[in-house]
Amino acid sequence: MPPSLSRSPSPPSVAAPVTPSSNFNANEFTSDIFCFTLIPSLWFDSNLILRQVSDSFLAVIPGRQREEIVGLQVDHLLSQNTLPTLGTARKAIRCADESRKPYELTDILPGSPTTWSLRVVPIYRHGHLRCFQMELQDTTIEHQRRLELQERVSANETFRILVDTVKDYAIFMLDPDGNVATWNQGAQMFKGYTRDEIVGRHFSNFYGQEDRANRKPQIELEVAIRDGRVEDEGWRYRKDGSRFWANVVITPVYREGTLIGFSKVTRDLTERRASEARLIAAYEEASKLKSEFLANMSHEIRTPMQGMLTALTLLLDTNLDSNQLDLARTIEESGTVLLQVINDILDYSKLASGCFSVSSDIISVSDIVHSVLRSYQRSKTPSTKLEAILDPKLPKAAEGDSLRYRQIVQNLLSNATKFTEEGYVQVKASLQEENEDSYLILTEVIDTGIGVPEDSAGSLFTPFTQFDNSATKRYKGTGLGLSICKGFVELMGGRIGFRPNPNGRGSVFRFTVRLKKVKQLAHIDELQDEFELLDMDSPASPSDDMKLAAAKKRILLAEDNRINQKVMMKMLAGLGFDAIDLAADGREAVALSAHHPPPYDIILMDINMPVLDGVSATREIRDAGVLTPIVAMTANALKGQAELYIAKGMNDYVSKPVDRRLLVKALLKCLKASALEQLPGPQSSSISDFIPNETVTNHERARKNSRLKTVEDHIEETMKLRPVSTTVLPSLP
Amino acid sequence: MAISGAADTIDAATFEQILEMDDDEEDREFSRSIVYDFFTQAESTFAKMDTNIEERNLKTLSELGHFLKGSSATLGLTKVKDSCEKIQHFGQLKDETGTKDLKDDDEALDKLKDIIAQAKEEFEEVEKVLKKFYHDKS
Repeated sequence: MPPSLSRSPSPPSVAAPVTPSSNFNANEFTSDIFCFTLIPSLWFDSNLILRQVSDSFLAVIPGRQREEIVGLQVDHLLSQNTLPTLGTARKAIRCADESRKPYELTDILPGSPTTWSLRVVPIYRHGHLRCFQMELQDTTIEHQRRLELQERVSANETFRILVDTVKDYAIFMLDPDGNVATWNQGAQMFKGYTRDEIVGRHFSNFYGQEDRANRKPQIELEVAIRDGRVEDEGWRYRKDGSRFWANVVITPVYREGTLIGFSKVTRDLTERRASEARLIAAYEEASKLKSEFLANMSHEIRTPMQGMLTALTLLLDTNLDSNQLDLARTIEESGTVLLQVINDILDYSKLASGCFSVSSDIISVSDIVHSVLRSYQRSKTPSTKLEAILDPKLPKAAEGDSLRYRQIVQNLLSNATKFTEEGYVQVKASLQEENEDSYLILTEVIDTGIGVPEDSAGSLFTPFTQFDNSATKRYKGTGLGLSICKGFVELMGGRIGFRPNPNGRGSVFRFTVRLKKVKQLAHIDELQDEFELLDMDSPASPSDDMKLAAAKKRILLAEDNRINQKVMMKMLAGLGFDAIDLAADGREAVALSAHHPPPYDIILMDINMPVLDGVSATREIRDAGVLTPIVAMTANALKGQAELYIAKGMNDYVSKPVDRRLLVKALLKCLKASALEQLPGPQSSSISDFIPNETVTNHERARKNSRLKTVEDHIEETMKLRPVSTTVLPSLP
Repeated sequence: MAISGAADTIDAATFEQILEMDDDEEDREFSRSIVYDFFTQAESTFAKMDTNIEERNLKTLSELGHFLKGSSATLGLTKVKDSCEKIQHFGQLKDETGTKDLKDDDEALDKLKDIIAQAKEEFEEVEKVLKKFYHDKS
């Protein structure tokens, strides 16, 4: 029995026992209920005077004794009390009284750490109010739970509204089998199905025939499960069959470790895709135009530059006083540099626009290395040793672009000599590997020059960069040389790289090129030597060379215009051809030339002809396995078309009206290359055409036959056919 | 060998290349035959152009333009050549530089009529100069 019982007041008189029993003390029982109920409670009589209070209530209003408060009127009692406040108490009592039912108020003390609710139960006897029982209850936990629940409900609701109303994304759930489980407005807008039409159907309905056949929808779900997510872009189909370019993200959704389905978010990227495509197209077009413009401009500038330099060379040979000579030399020097810059830009822009093609002629690596070295003997400093180290296994002849190979070596060597004040510059060429049809040649240019700082080595081959800006002051150049080399090397199936000279100071630039093997190699070496003899023994003008090459050659001229036929026939006869056949259109050209063994040594082909044009005729001739060199002629002299015609199976190109000197150059190039390639050639061609002892007589005959040329004519011709920079002019009489 | 009064109608270098083919600089048999062949070719081509203008045959007109362009270019008859090139372009429904599309056949035909008339004038002009060069009084 708790000690408090002794202090407890006497039980209220109202509590009369109903069924007293012998060993049952009804008063004590009632008083225990009042005292010890765990619910903090108060009992008021109908006049609202407090008659009884529980210990548990006293516990929540510390500092007040039962004796003080029992007997107080409710207003008096609660005026200083906060729990419950008078207002809430009165309100609850009034409501309970009016409704004659228990009345409950929740959260009567907002802001307090404990949440209290207040219940007032009116108690009646025979319909008359006897008292009010007022109970306080600590509902903190329930209240907390309810709040959380409310929050959750409201968050769920918010999310649902969010997902439902988003129109720019189709967001919906799939069940674990891939059937559509939910649907939002965005999905409806994108895909055209209403919720009722699609829920329950498989999501593969959005995919195209091909994707479905490839099991793409199923695979996507499998990947999503495996990787936790799958993203895909592709065409998706609407209800009406139209399609849109979609980005789709599928994520598996788990609840307590069990897969309950997939979320699927789809975006319509059709517009973005279209604008991307437009951007790319615009960029490509702009870039192409830029490159074309550069190529054209460089070409247009180069021609007058060459004219100027030629004139200047002539000027330098006239009687100039020392002052004038000085000025003229300055012009020449600057002009040569400028021409080099223009050539670099032309090469670079052609490489960049992708319209650069490597030609295939006979190349001898060691000859090129020697010849390039020779040209740099003069420009090196006296304390620099210039040497070539050549692998004896290098092929004497192979198929490749000798001009480009030379350009690469020249460029690297020019850098090496430019940056090397003393020590050595070596060019090392070796055979790296050899297979059935090709050689891989490694060429290294090693110097003891200023070297390349480590942090610049990465950008060496980037266009328009020179590793040291201060160096630009000292060493002139466009900064394009190495990137052009890189372009050439890659076109020739090789790689280019840099490393510091392992012997201390300086650099090693190394590149590989792949060269095709030449058929009938045995003849080649022999012929090669003869050609060298011929070339070296060739002080004669190119037209003498031409007469030599043209002798006993059969040429086919395909040209539809009678005037042009006559002029070309005459021109060819003048160049030394005595067997010229004529085709009036492409069909005739094919009929005449597509035989085995090939009846002609060379074909001059007009592009635009009736019946069958020159390009188609070339194709038919090539398809017939006839490799006779074909030189295209056309009046549509657009830049870059040479490459185009060469790509179509032709070997070279001259523009109309045909300039005799350019024609000679093209014919010589083709005849020489084909003589090497096609041995034993067509009926007429034989090695003896090129034998040196005939050369002498031919030269002499040619000289007699040719019209008297002035020295200027001769020089002009030589100039046009050889690179300006390497021409050593004979002094004028 | 300069031809007086024809600096902008005849490209000297190209024409001289033809003259250089003459074996005899006095009678100039070869170049003379070429030039007179050209006169014949040009006249017959212009006649064909007239017929094809009537028949609104643009493709053939373009081909004829290209054809005459080839021979006039060989002789260095710059102006005639340039006009022929335009005939070629108009016939392909392109503008005179060959870059932009023309509206329709009617626009092309109008332009063709003008340019063919111009080409004829230019031809007649150059014909006079050349005949004089070959001392032809006819």
